[in-house]
Amino acid sequence: MREPLSVAKVPRRSYWMKWCAAGFMILFLAMPRGAAGQETAAFYKQNCYSCHTIGGGRLVGPDLKNVTTRQDRDWLARFMLNPQAMIDRGDPYAKQILEESRGVVMSQVAGLTRERANALLDLIEAESALEKSQFEGVKFSDRPFTSQDVERGERLFKGVESLKNGGPSCISCHTVRGLGLLGGGRLGVDLTKVSERVGGRKPLSAWLVSPATTTMQPVFKENAMEAEEILSLVAFFEDAAKQVGDDDSVAPLTFFLMGLGGMVLVLGAFDIIWKNRFRAVRRPLVAGGQMGTRV
Amino acid sequence: MASAQSYLDQLFFGVLPYLALIIFFLVTIQRYRSQAFTYSSLSSQFLENQRHFWGLVPLHYGILVVVMGHVVAFMFPRQLLAWNGHPIRLYILEISALIFGLLTLLGLLSTLVRRFAFSKVRTVTSLADILLYVLLLVQVISGVYVAVMHSWGSSWFAASASPYLWSIITLDPDISYVIAMPFAVKLHIVNACLVIGFFPFTRLVHILVIPNPYLWRRPQVVRWNKAPGLRR
Repeated sequence: MREPLSVAKVPRRSYWMKWCAAGFMILFLAMPRGAAGQETAAFYKQNCYSCHTIGGGRLVGPDLKNVTTRQDRDWLARFMLNPQAMIDRGDPYAKQILEESRGVVMSQVAGLTRERANALLDLIEAESALEKSQFEGVKFSDRPFTSQDVERGERLFKGVESLKNGGPSCISCHTVRGLGLLGGGRLGVDLTKVSERVGGRKPLSAWLVSPATTTMQPVFKENAMEAEEILSLVAFFEDAAKQVGDDDSVAPLTFFLMGLGGMVLVLGAFDIIWKNRFRAVRRPLVAGGQMGTRV
Repeated sequence: MASAQSYLDQLFFGVLPYLALIIFFLVTIQRYRSQAFTYSSLSSQFLENQRHFWGLVPLHYGILVVVMGHVVAFMFPRQLLAWNGHPIRLYILEISALIFGLLTLLGLLSTLVRRFAFSKVRTVTSLADILLYVLLLVQVISGVYVAVMHSWGSSWFAASASPYLWSIITLDPDISYVIAMPFAVKLHIVNACLVIGFFPFTRLVHILVIPNPYLWRRPQVVRWNKAPGLRR
């Protein structure tokens, strides 16, 4: 025998359907959107400019002027999409680029597709044909660093002086030798030898104009550092490379032990604060206490 | 391989947070409407109260401070970065946060041992409790690991995680802030989404019904039912 249809359930079901529809609409609206609409030149500026010039000489990576005449486009596109894979595969030209770049592997570019790689190669070709490309590179002051530059660089690194455009200080994620106590952050690499690693003052300065690693790029794309700040930071990094003191590799252990010690102190405080805490009902009664006479 | 990774990143950081939030809101409301009296911490203090204190107190005070720290970094990232503008202030904040993170971990482990060491408490343990323990352990251990091995979280959270979370809230997810993070950070984020999604099916709902109205309800007039001379 069929059960009578429950009228009460109908609105509940429609209520659920409404909620689910709203939920999936939110989900659809919230689906991540790619950077498809981004201009190729803007994309180049944000992702390539810090390591490459077009006609301005080598930075961390090679000068890209006439790169399409040095290697075929298919190879270049494959390298751009996954540089590490090409190196791992033992490709001789990829290994040559790695050697010339002092072992710095080109980082994988977020949002780069085959179509965008081809568009970038078109752009590089067009810019190479010009007498002076708009991507010839930023010109930096080459005056000798002073002790004031180093001091200001240290203040910027530690965050004592904020970066003008609102970027976070370097210490948030990086350390250098000689910071003392707990050192700097460990989300990113140790920057003690960064100047040496990337090939000196000019490539490091250019790199800091728009840091191109996948972690730093989103943070600094809206908060680019100013030229004077970059100069001071580079002065600080070059000075840090000369430091001969112990590195701070034990800092995480020191930090952990300090946390552990603090935890023990707080546990002691808990015990003192709640020393009259409620411990039992039955046990004191059994022990012959005088409780329970009031109603 | 790269595209598979990219797909997983989209799934974990662009879609999962919304799935978790949708489940959280729908099921929380529905459970309150249909089973309001199940909104409880299902305290087992009645069954065992000797070891209870050393689990309950560190866990709750630890988690409250740590979660509050995440909320402050999310709401006021610039102010937090300004506070961290001097290394000594940064170190004080980080050590304090680590102390409460370790208290959370100790409290959680203590409640876990107690729950399975005492037969009465073990008897009232459900499958949801066990799953919740697994999720919370992963969350707290990964959090402490990130704090120690990928310092200084209070600063880079404000610079990277906070904009990511705001992009989620404003329905314009920008996963570029988190896709290059180390594995432990990614695990912490993904597991947080799982905890939020699983929240309404567990005893965690008691967080929503602590006696909040005490803070704003009108004062109550308390009357004594005894003659004044009999008061003590």
